[in-house]
Amino acid sequence: MKRRGRGIGCMWYPIGFTVDANPSAATVKVNEDGTATVLTGTVETGQGALTVLGQIAAEALGIATDDVHVVSGDTDVTPMDTGAIASRTTYVTGNAIYLAAEAAKAILFEAAAPMLGVKPSQLEAKDRRIQVKNFPQRAVTIGEVAFRSQVVLGQPAIGSATWNPPTVAMDPETGQGKPFATYVYATQIAEVDVDDETGEVEVLRICAAHDCGTAINPMLVEGQVEGGISMGVGMALQEEMLFDANGRIVNPSLTNYIMPTSLDMPEIHVDIVQGFDPTGPFGAKGVGEPTAVPTAAAILNAIHDAVGVRITALPATAEKVLAAIKAKKGAPKQIPG
Amino acid sequence: MDDKTEVLEREQLDIEILRDVNLRLPAVAPREAFPAVPLTVDARLQTRAVGQRATRPDCRMHGLGQTKYIDDIKLPGMLYARIKRAGISSARIKRIDTSGAEAMPGVMAVVIGKEIPVNSFGPTFQDQPVLAADRVFHAGDGVAAVAAVTEQIANEALEKIIVEYEALPAVFDPVEAMRDDAPKVHAPNSNIYASKVVRKGDVEKGFAESDHIFEGRFSTQMIEHVSLEPHAAIADWDATGRLTIYATIGRITLARADMARTLKLPMSRIRLIGTTVGGNFGGKNEISQEPALALLSKKTGRPVKGVFTRSEEFTSSTTRHPIIMDYKSGVTKEGRIVARQIRLVLDGGAYCSWSATTLGKACILSPGPYKIDNVLTEAFVVYTNKTMTGAMRGFGAPQVCFAYESHMDDIAKGLGKDQLEIRLLNAFDEGSSSPTGQVLHSVVVKETLNKAAARFGWESQS
Repeated sequence: MKRRGRGIGCMWYPIGFTVDANPSAATVKVNEDGTATVLTGTVETGQGALTVLGQIAAEALGIATDDVHVVSGDTDVTPMDTGAIASRTTYVTGNAIYLAAEAAKAILFEAAAPMLGVKPSQLEAKDRRIQVKNFPQRAVTIGEVAFRSQVVLGQPAIGSATWNPPTVAMDPETGQGKPFATYVYATQIAEVDVDDETGEVEVLRICAAHDCGTAINPMLVEGQVEGGISMGVGMALQEEMLFDANGRIVNPSLTNYIMPTSLDMPEIHVDIVQGFDPTGPFGAKGVGEPTAVPTAAAILNAIHDAVGVRITALPATAEKVLAAIKAKKGAPKQIPG
Repeated sequence: MDDKTEVLEREQLDIEILRDVNLRLPAVAPREAFPAVPLTVDARLQTRAVGQRATRPDCRMHGLGQTKYIDDIKLPGMLYARIKRAGISSARIKRIDTSGAEAMPGVMAVVIGKEIPVNSFGPTFQDQPVLAADRVFHAGDGVAAVAAVTEQIANEALEKIIVEYEALPAVFDPVEAMRDDAPKVHAPNSNIYASKVVRKGDVEKGFAESDHIFEGRFSTQMIEHVSLEPHAAIADWDATGRLTIYATIGRITLARADMARTLKLPMSRIRLIGTTVGGNFGGKNEISQEPALALLSKKTGRPVKGVFTRSEEFTSSTTRHPIIMDYKSGVTKEGRIVARQIRLVLDGGAYCSWSATTLGKACILSPGPYKIDNVLTEAFVVYTNKTMTGAMRGFGAPQVCFAYESHMDDIAKGLGKDQLEIRLLNAFDEGSSSPTGQVLHSVVVKETLNKAAARFGWESQS
């Protein structure tokens, strides 16, 4: 008979490396027509990082995502970057790109100030224009300013910057220190059905509430959460590399190494919790890795809630769950005779 | 019926006909058949770019199957490389004879470990050889690399390479490997290659002040990233002495530094191009076969491509650390955690790779997002003669989260408390002090608990 259970997984996760320096550098070039090119040494690994980094540059320059082209992943062309690791791209590379865009914008403001008859400090970039703060009708398009800055004044609007998270080394004896600049938080709640005759677990739905500071692109955050949950389902119920007595892997193929497919995926509800981190670009932190962290915990707690057995060694395969259910019920009664 | 609809229906009909005659459909569907009309105003065109649900510029290429991965790139004269794997977990290499392979028509070059200028790399400890030279540390170690005009010939050439091994004692269980009398994976050093402690307050005092003590042991398995695209690279060592590497790698700055080190080349002579990565999840954070491909390219004067098989992804790339986790918590009868003691043993595989980082994160995060005044966490990572463990999405956090959240539910059940309430009672607040004494900012743990509970429809059962 199928028994239903629910379980909570709550977590915290840091953004960036543990203490070690992990800087990013970036260059932002504003083209003569008001579009922009960003140079970054990070690499798109499928998570949509380049889109988010482009959005950060666009926001800083007051232009649209589509106006920004991001060049990445070539050591001859792009500045150094610690890379797509440790959920650091939005926060660390994003901060570098934000600062580089601000540097390019300062050059634009220098050029625009005499055009508008005000000081550079009175200007803001918004809606593809450079305008006077609180007096937006006095404005000039960014394209016009960028063209004038480069072609007339001879000062192209190019900004470069680097950023590294501020940390404090941990004491080797006590571990006390500030190993990371910031952390994100999340809770996932899973609902499962456990068949107490076969031990099979079906994950029905997962409600995931994630903090990522400002969601630069909510759609990509949701994508990360859904992907992270699929890895969490695999960790909870299926995936395991097995070795023989001589240390050789016995299941090095997708025939025998079982992992979730779309058929194993639960219904997922993603909520992005409103947050703002003053140390991140426009308040953003990150979301990549944390999405895979609490899923297995939530599912295993839901199994416990459903059938009262605590699986302490992952994965909770049907065989393992059934064995635990049988052990809990006790050995079958001996027929006297 | 307007013209457009007619065209559309005709093309759909064409597709049906193609299906009927069992022909393979073209990868690109006729454009009119699936008009890509955006349903909303395009988020990519909005100013105030932050917060927009902007689509990715690469999504159309992915959707149409037109993205070019390493396997799609063919350079003129390119050769194909394959690597011979040891298949034995711990051994001394007595002899490698590559002459049979070199004599095969179509085989252009063979490289062995001794030819690699600096045959070691790694982000923390440089304990990993590009190709095993004297010693094999795990069954997935490469012992020789072959470049041939086709992949099939390269595969056949591997069979012709003769390697004589002298088997050495091996250890596979991390707890066994911690014992003094265990075989040393990297002799004469201890198998415990990194450890970390986080100590806050006084756990013994905390346990004495607690109303209840809960204990539990949890363990996790070894997991592979299983990126759809396996590890792949092309090395092109040109006549000017400049080396271009195309690689599916998430960290090109570090990869170039590793290439310069292993090949003893100035960094300015290496260009590393990160191609579209078909899945990373931490598995593509460092070099693997690239220095061997570079030397094969240098020997032959031709570009050389290497793509791991799915099997090599399991045997010869990094994986997620199995961790054995012992938890002991002292709590008040109200459910407040007073003290928590944790011991973590990470199976570190044959090489360090990103184990030091994983150890650090697992150790720091293991008490959970909870206010606990007395914490003691001790964590160890141990060499075993198994495939190396390294970076994988979460760096030890999914493992410890499974443990501290299972433990939390055991505490809730033991005290007859609701699982949500006990977490809300203990969760960090803005300004809480972390186990390492860091004052936390932008803390929203309770908000995530409440939001997920509201969405789920959580009703208290206490």
